[in-house]
Amino acid sequence: MIGLLSGCRLFRMLLVLSEDHKEHLAFLPKVEPAVVREFGRIALEFIRRGASPKIYEGAARKLGVPVEMVQHGVEGLMFLMTESSKHMISEVDFLDSVLVLGFGEELNQILLQLYLQHHSQIRSILSQLPSNLPAYHSLEWRLDVQLASRSVREQVIPMLTMHLLLTKGSDSISRVLQTDPRTLLHLISTLEAALASMKTSHARRILRNIK
Amino acid sequence: MELSESVQRGLQSLADPSSFDQSSFQVLVDVSFRSLLSSKGDPAVLDQPELKQIDQILLKQCHTAATTFILEAVKQNADKSTISSCLEELTFSAERIEIFYSTHQKHKKELECLLASIGRRPAQINDVSWRLQYHMKNAQVDKVNEPFYSISLKSENEGSSEDINFTCTMEQLQDLVGKLKDAAKSVEKASQM
Repeated sequence: MIGLLSGCRLFRMLLVLSEDHKEHLAFLPKVEPAVVREFGRIALEFIRRGASPKIYEGAARKLGVPVEMVQHGVEGLMFLMTESSKHMISEVDFLDSVLVLGFGEELNQILLQLYLQHHSQIRSILSQLPSNLPAYHSLEWRLDVQLASRSVREQVIPMLTMHLLLTKGSDSISRVLQTDPRTLLHLISTLEAALASMKTSHARRILRNIK
Repeated sequence: MELSESVQRGLQSLADPSSFDQSSFQVLVDVSFRSLLSSKGDPAVLDQPELKQIDQILLKQCHTAATTFILEAVKQNADKSTISSCLEELTFSAERIEIFYSTHQKHKKELECLLASIGRRPAQINDVSWRLQYHMKNAQVDKVNEPFYSISLKSENEGSSEDINFTCTMEQLQDLVGKLKDAAKSVEKASQM
């Protein structure tokens, strides 16, 4: 990827398409615009749900072309869409990037429309991928008083039982934890300090200036 | 309090002045409490000068009976009258009952804590640490530019500690803190009942 930084405002992001990639997409001008749109629809469906080889075979038969050609065309479209969405490239930069493919104006516009209509959806799909860190989902709690145990028969121990739900990618992690009232107050004051740290001038300065 | 036959027999021997005179009785009572409270088993716990003349097998039986009785009393939270009537039935003199009971009162709280810590329960949270970070980009998506928190809950379960790590946004952390505050409010209300 080439990004040209000139000054602090102008930032051009042009996609560099490899030779293979260009070759795969070279199939597109050879078919009707309606077919390109259909391939675009298939490419997006595949980004959403994963690829399905049967679709390639069906389309190849209808068009009378080898299956690889259809597959490469769709995959090339998928890659074009995901890379553009990943870098959030502007309309102008997108058009300039596809210029190198030497397609006609109509085809370029079809590709641009495909990008503009779907890039935020594609971005949100992409952002769900790198979740190898467990993320907070929810917390349920209840207050119990322990009255007895196997080793002690008369007790009055207040305890807070919590059910913490985390998500990790597509899995969920569930933990049952307990704490006592004093530790609970300590947890609250520590985490309130954490929230306050977002409001310091230092944090605000960073958040404002890195965009 | 229900006591097994061997415990009853051991206590009866302990009550008998011909087996244990006043000073050796006091020493055995102290030693029994101490051996329950020490963190390491001490094989020399019965090697006290006052206990040297007593038959060693009898000594061990009485020590076992005494410690069993002590644990049962603490477990059941037995009051003075329960302990007294129990020991009276086992031929303890009023004086010996008093010595036993006052030593029991001295160590009761500590023994209660010890017993309460035995048993299975969910991991106990004892601390939390946090970091505020700014997510700029990752392998799949560029220009993310979002702040996020990394939270680490320190918990302990039966001696082994475990860290539960997770990330959350500011809104999620506010949700979490809000729920914890609700819990704290309900604890306060319950304590006023």
